[in-house]
Formats: sequence, C-alpha cells, structure tokens
Amino acid sequence: MSAVWTASRAAVKRRRLQTFVIGLVVLCSTTTVLLALALLSAASGPFDKAYAEQRGAHTVATFDTTKVSQEQLARTARQPGVETAAGPFGQTVVDIPKDWLWMAGGTLTVVGRADPAGPVDRIELLEGHWATAPGEIVVNWSAQGSPGTALLGTKLETSGGTTLTVVGFATSMSKSASAWVTPEQMAALHPSSAQMLYRFTDSSTEDRLSASLARATTGLPKESLTGAQTYLTLKQAFSALADSYLPFMTLFGILGLLVSTLIVGNVVSGAVVSGYRHIGVLKALGFTPSQVVAVYLTMLSVPAVVGCVLGTLAGNALARPILKVAFTGIDVGRASVGNISPWLSVVCLVGMPALVLLAALVPALRAHRLPAARAISAGGAPRAGRGLRVQRMLGATRLPRPVSLGLGQPFARPGRTLLTMAAIVLGVTTVTLSTGLTSTMVAYGNVGREDGGARIHVTTGGSGNDRTPSRLSDLQIEKRLRSLPGAEGVRARALSQVNMAGQTQPVFADFYRGDDSLYDHTIVKGRAPSAAGEIVAGPAFLTQRGLKLGDRVTLELNGRKITATVVGRLIEGDARALEATWRTLARLAPDAHATEYTVRLAPGADARAHAEAVAALDPGLHASVMDSGNAGTATVVTFSTVFTVLLTLVASLGVFNTVLLNIRERRRDLGMLKSIGMTPRQVVVMTVTSVAGLGAVGGLLGIPLGIVAHRLVVDNVGVVDFPASMKDVWHAPQLAAMLMAGVAIAVLGALVPARSAARMTIASVLHTE
Amino acid sequence: MTTDHNSARHVVVRLDGVHKEYGDAKALDGLSLEITAGDAVAVMGPSGCGKSTLLNMVAGLDRPTSGTVEVHGHDLGKLNETGLALFRRRNVGMIFQFFNLIDDLPVLDNVALAAQLTGTPARQARRRALELLDELGVAERRNNYPATLSGGERQRVAVARALMNRPALLLADEPTGALDSRSGEQVMDLLIDLNQIGQTLLIVTHDPQLATRCASRLIEVADGRVARESTLEATA
Repeated sequence: MSAVWTASRAAVKRRRLQTFVIGLVVLCSTTTVLLALALLSAASGPFDKAYAEQRGAHTVATFDTTKVSQEQLARTARQPGVETAAGPFGQTVVDIPKDWLWMAGGTLTVVGRADPAGPVDRIELLEGHWATAPGEIVVNWSAQGSPGTALLGTKLETSGGTTLTVVGFATSMSKSASAWVTPEQMAALHPSSAQMLYRFTDSSTEDRLSASLARATTGLPKESLTGAQTYLTLKQAFSALADSYLPFMTLFGILGLLVSTLIVGNVVSGAVVSGYRHIGVLKALGFTPSQVVAVYLTMLSVPAVVGCVLGTLAGNALARPILKVAFTGIDVGRASVGNISPWLSVVCLVGMPALVLLAALVPALRAHRLPAARAISAGGAPRAGRGLRVQRMLGATRLPRPVSLGLGQPFARPGRTLLTMAAIVLGVTTVTLSTGLTSTMVAYGNVGREDGGARIHVTTGGSGNDRTPSRLSDLQIEKRLRSLPGAEGVRARALSQVNMAGQTQPVFADFYRGDDSLYDHTIVKGRAPSAAGEIVAGPAFLTQRGLKLGDRVTLELNGRKITATVVGRLIEGDARALEATWRTLARLAPDAHATEYTVRLAPGADARAHAEAVAALDPGLHASVMDSGNAGTATVVTFSTVFTVLLTLVASLGVFNTVLLNIRERRRDLGMLKSIGMTPRQVVVMTVTSVAGLGAVGGLLGIPLGIVAHRLVVDNVGVVDFPASMKDVWHAPQLAAMLMAGVAIAVLGALVPARSAARMTIASVLHTE
Repeated sequence: MTTDHNSARHVVVRLDGVHKEYGDAKALDGLSLEITAGDAVAVMGPSGCGKSTLLNMVAGLDRPTSGTVEVHGHDLGKLNETGLALFRRRNVGMIFQFFNLIDDLPVLDNVALAAQLTGTPARQARRRALELLDELGVAERRNNYPATLSGGERQRVAVARALMNRPALLLADEPTGALDSRSGEQVMDLLIDLNQIGQTLLIVTHDPQLATRCASRLIEVADGRVARESTLEATA
C-alpha cells in the first residue's frame, strides 16, 4: 500500500461526516443532471434516430396537378440540392364518418403508392399487408403500439361510391399521408394533387429547407406548389409537451451543476485550509508536493465516485417514469422515449468525478505550493488582515460579543465566505424560482375556474360499453342542461378533423356554441372568435405554422371550404388544434351536432348531485365532474418540488460543511472562549450569527436571480403563452418569505454543528493539539 | 556526553552566510555553521532570534534568501520542491514541540508512513515501526490515535517516526517544550542514547537543562547570527 493511499484512506476514514456530505452533494447533483440530460435527449434523440431509420422526408411537398405535369415533377428530383426524392404520388382527400377506426370523423389524406419502401419515407408496416389491388387501403397508425388485426377488413365508403377495405396498418415518421392505396386505385379516385418527398443535402434549418425546395421547384408553373411540410415541424410537434418542461428542467440541471461545483470547491478549499498543519506534516515527512495533491484528490475522489455511482443509479430509476409522464399523450410515432441511453450514464459517471476533481484541483494546487515551514508553524491558515480589522470594528460596537464575533467570522476567510454565499444564493434562487413556477402553474391550472364554480362534463352516447344513443336532440340536450338548477352556463362542443390548405395532416377543429365566458381568461392576445370564419389557437399551433393574428387560412371539410382569419391567441393548446364558433362549423358541415357539453355551475352548487341530475335527463348522456387541476400542472409542480428539495438540501449541506470546517479549525479558540466563560448558548449564537448574515445577503441576491430565472422559464414554454397576470406572482409577503429562506437555509445548515461546538468539553479541546 | 567537535570527521551540515528575510524582518543575517557526524548540537537564544528558521533551513522546510545550506552533501538551495521532499525523507528526521503527528492515522501507521514514502512495503514498514515503538516503550499504544495519547507518549511516537528511515541528522524543535518534567526527562534520555550510538542531533531549545544534558556543543544565536559557540560537558 503506498504512502499516498495510506494517508488518503486515513483521511477519508477519520473525516466521515465531511466525506458523507461530499458524497451526498455529488449524489444529488448527479441525479439532477442525469434527469435533465435524459429529458433533453428524449426530446430530440429518438425522433432523429427513428427518422433516419425510415429515411424520412425532409420536405413533403404537395402540387396542384392541374398546373403541373408528372414529368415536370419527376424532373425536380434531379435538381441541385436534392439528395434523393420519391414521387410524384397521386394524392386526394376522402371523407370519413365519425368513429371510423376510432377517429373523430372528418377527412383522410390518401396517397397512391405501389411500394412502402423506396429511397425516401420507408413506411413501416405494422399489421396486414401493403395495398396491392384496387379497393385496398392501408391506414397510418401514429399511436404507439399496434392496432392489432381485429380492425383489418374495416370498410370505408367514399363519397364517389368506391368501397375501400383496410388491409393493413402502417406508420410513416414523415407523416406523408393518412392512408395509402395502389396507384391504380388512386387514379380511380381522380386525384387533383400530387406529392413529392424530398431529402435535401442541406436540411439544417427551416430557411435552408425552404431555399432547397425553391431551388428544386425552379421552373415549375406559378402556384403549382400548394403546400409543404418539413421534418423540423414534425420534430417540434414531437417534443411539444416536453418542450414545456425543458426550460426549467435544463435550468434546474444547470443549477444543480453550479451548486455541486461550488460546494465541492468550497468543501475542498475548506479541507485544504483546515488541513494546513496536516499538509505541513506530510511535507516535513517527505511527501512531495505532487503526493500532497494526490492525497487530497484521492481523499475527495472516494466520496465523489460513490456519490456519482449512486446518483447515476437514482437518476436512471427516476428518469424512466418521469419521461413516461412527460411524453404521455404525445404522438411519438415509432420513437421510443422510455429508454435512457447508456451514454448519459457514462457522461455522468465520467463527467461528475472529473468535475469534482477539477473543482478540487485549484485548492489542492495551493497545497502544492504551500511552503512546509509556513504550513507546519501556522497550525491554521494565515488570517486575513481585513478580517482582523473588521473584528476590531465589530468589537467596538454595542452588539453582544457573541454576535459581533460571529458577524466578523466571514471576513476571516473571504474565499470560503464567497463560496458559501454562492451556495446560499443558488439555494434561494431555486426556492424563488420554484415558488414562482408553482404559483404560475396553479394559476394556469385554475384557468376557467376563477368564479369558483365546478364544471360538469357531459358526453352523448353513454359511457364505456354502454353505447346507448341519446333520445334527445342536440338542441334539446342544451336546453335541458340550461334549465337544470345550479347551471350558470352551457357550452356545446363538436370536434372534427378538417383539412388546412398546404398541410398534409388534418388539424383538429373544436367548434363551440353557448357560454363563451371561458375565453375571458384563456385569450392572451386578440379576441374570442364570434363570426363565421374566425379562429383562435394556442401558441404551438400558430408558431409551428408561422401564423399570427390577422393571417388567413383555408379550412376544408366534406368538400366545403371556408377562409378563416386568426383573431386570437389562446394561452395554450395542442399543436394540431384550433378553435372556432358554431357559425364556422355551420358553413363547413350544416348538419353537424354537438357531442360534448360543459356545464358551468354556480359557486357552491353540488357538482355530484348535478351530474346525477344530468344523467337522469337521458340515458344516452354521461356526466362527470371535471377535475380541479390538470396533469401538466401537477407534473410541473411535482418536478419543481423535487428539484427544490434536492437543491435546497445541497445548499444546506454546503453551509453545514462550511460551519463544520470553521468549528474544526477554531476548536482551540472555542475552547479558550469557553474557558473564559462563554456559555454553550453563546457559542451557538456566535456560530449561527456567522452564517445568518450570509443568509440574509444571499437572500437579497438570490431573489432577483430567481425572479429573472422564473421569467425566462415561463417566457420560453413552447406550448403555453402565459399572460402577464400569471407571470406577476411576486408580492411583498412572498418576497419577505424568500428572504427568510436564505436565512433559514443558513441557520438550518449551521444549527447542528453549532450545537456540537457548544457541547465540546474545554479539557478535550485544549488537550487536543 | 563526551563527543568532541572533530573537524576531521564528515561534515553533515554546512551553512554559509545564510540570510532569510520575511518582508522587512530579518530572521537570519549571514549565519554560518558546521555540524559534523555524531555531533549533538543545541541552539539557544531569545524568542525571535532565528532558531526555528535555522532549523527549517537545515530541514529543507524553507529556503534561504541568500547563502548556502548544505546537508549531507546536498545543496538545498539548488533543489526544487520535489527534490527537497526526497531529501527530507531520506536524510532528516524531525521532532516538533507539538509533535505534529497525523491525527487521522493510528500510532503504528504514523510511524510506518515515513518508511512507506521511501518505497518500503507496508508490512515491512510496520514491522520496523513496531520494533521502534517497542524500543521507545509505546508499542502497546500502536493502535491508538494520537489524540488519545499523553504528551510524553506522543513525543516518543514522534521520535520513532523521525528515526524510521535511519536519518543522517535528527532535528528537534523544543522537543520537551510541551511536556511535563517526567516526560521531558524520558525524551532527554532518549536523545542521549541516540547520540551515543552515533546519531547526529541538532536541537533548538529554550531549556538550558536539555542543552547541557543532551548536547556537546552549544550555539547561541542572536539577531540571526551565531553570537557564541561553546563546548559543553556532559551532565547525564
């Protein structure tokens, strides 16, 4: 066994508490970092992988075949910048009835393809076989898993009288179509458009994809290109929900990393300073400067490696369920989000100990340079002159002596004080950020419930296997619901898939009539739709399509078209969903009827009794009391709380460690002070005071940082556009509480070592050198 | 003690015009000195006269501002930090007033560590450490940590550690300063015994009794220079 190992092992064994604190700090930080990395990776990695495997199209372009010929389109595949292309494939839109293959009804974009393979968009067949004969259709299945074989054979009657039989289910990451038929069948359906699938040599940004498409379609007749969809849009939609968590997950990851680095730096620096005599003895014995550095680095590597391994295990255990929650309900195609790449663990297992060693290296190099004679004679670090001056100044004040002694202590070790304060600042920043996020998310979760009244959700057609049709008509249902005691407003809803010009994928349109008080709180920009042809949508929908207020789009359903204007921006919404009034639906589908109703009850009304009364109206109605929150809010609040607990713990451990080192270093001083009459209570006061001041200053600095971080996070959540009222969550009592958080973190961290200092017996302290 | 200062013998320590300054303060001011093998030299003088600085120079714990410090043929001014460390582990053993044992290590490992540094296998180092502890009468405390030992016991452990690598020179800085009279006597006897078997000693002390009992030469230092040098008669 080498001398370095002997000395390091002994140091680890005898400094159990310090070793434990370092290990715990590294464990918490590693878990935090791994969680953040796993989420970042899951949000983009699986999509890229699955997309590459299917040779997904960088751009799916739709052309008007009345303006451009097949030959002209085929030539675009050989234009500069086109890596490879597939098509042209005939494309048309067919109507589907409600509940066909569990769909909401609306339209289906059908493409004629002889083969699911090819140089671009290699479609994966999930069940059945590819369409090889007229009358056969393969349907795109975008949900995870397989639909099974039970649905094969389902028929679809088109408006032109053609009967199509489902012979297979397939999935296309490119989302190039909702269904596929043979080219012969497509010809029989009389397509009016054609599809080209391109992979470009430069696909890095939307701008470059647009430029590549423009180059490829140079020379084609004007306005023959009717729409284009890029893979970047799909990728963004894929991670839309995760994006709402990413800003603060990343921020918490960075905070975890910073706190970890600072505290490890603090701990190591403290270990070096409090180990001056130890270093001197080692050097006097003949340890070379490099061996002294090695002793200190080895001493720290042990808890760092153990903490890192345990933190990686904990991170892996936590990341899987958290990712599953984060991606619940997101259309992920064939991409897998539950699997954590082993590389992330490798990064943590290598990166965190490296970080610890790096943080340790600076103070360890101080030990390297420290002259042995100075170290061995000092018995402690040399005191800073400024610290002594401050002590003298404080001694002259009327403050109780233990308080003035405590207040002066931070000035004796300015470097360590700064690191400790940084830990407190980050702790307070975390608490501030978390409290702000929680307030924002709770306010967001309560949107539409400001009046305090409950909501009853009513659907037609019974529930579960009970598919009893309702006896009452749509308008009769609405009238009866309004007439029930306690009902203050009724809103009827119809959901339909409509086609939007220029988009291969249909969009989900919600059509409402009746009580529109909900819009009072959900429209963050513009106004609620009122006339026919007015739509509103969430930030994700608008951003991904480059739409803004005042822009016009064309919606199509059942062959009817309407030009609609974007008049409002909702606080949030699905990236594929828009909302409009019943008047718009009346233009697209005059015979449509509502399938869902929301009843707003008067405050204090008995929601359960009301739901029972609704069910009694008609056996075809199913009523349920709506939850008072939403899963997204709960998830964010949970994440926020978990990270706050982790990082506050880490910050408190940092303070704890600093006080512990100070006490160890000042044992003789404390013994002397007790020998001249300082009571244990005064020792506690002095020790706690030494960090409480830091806590107050840390609070003052951490609060503005936390507020800025909160604003950065809520402004960058992709799918939610928080209004100012939800962002301005800070009030005087809350700020005062935040300030106290700094002091609380400091006092909590200091209390245990302060009490242990108070309990030290004078004889043992003065006896020990 | 009857060892005479004999210039024909091998010179272990040679200091020539050594200056050491700490800012404006002069700790050593052109001090020159020679110590030959087998000598037992006591350095005395008032506080702040430069005694401990002199000892640090000879131990290679500090560097002179100017002048030459040569120990056992090594010009310490020419060695870098690593060279000084290698020099210390092979050539000198040190005993301090406040023992300077490593609190984290039990007694046996404290002593064995010095040999391990020279590459001696741990088992062999422990065997020799145990022999030394046995000779010094503290073998039964081998598994104790320093904090649980009395001052005398700690100093005997420190002596054992200093002797571990059979150094050419044993340096002692106020070796009895922190001990009660009985423990002090024991340490003095120990130093005398060591010198009698040929160990060269350089002792810095305020204690005239220690100087007269253990040393054959007395060097009095004042204001960083050798003020007086005399030969002592053994009293032990």
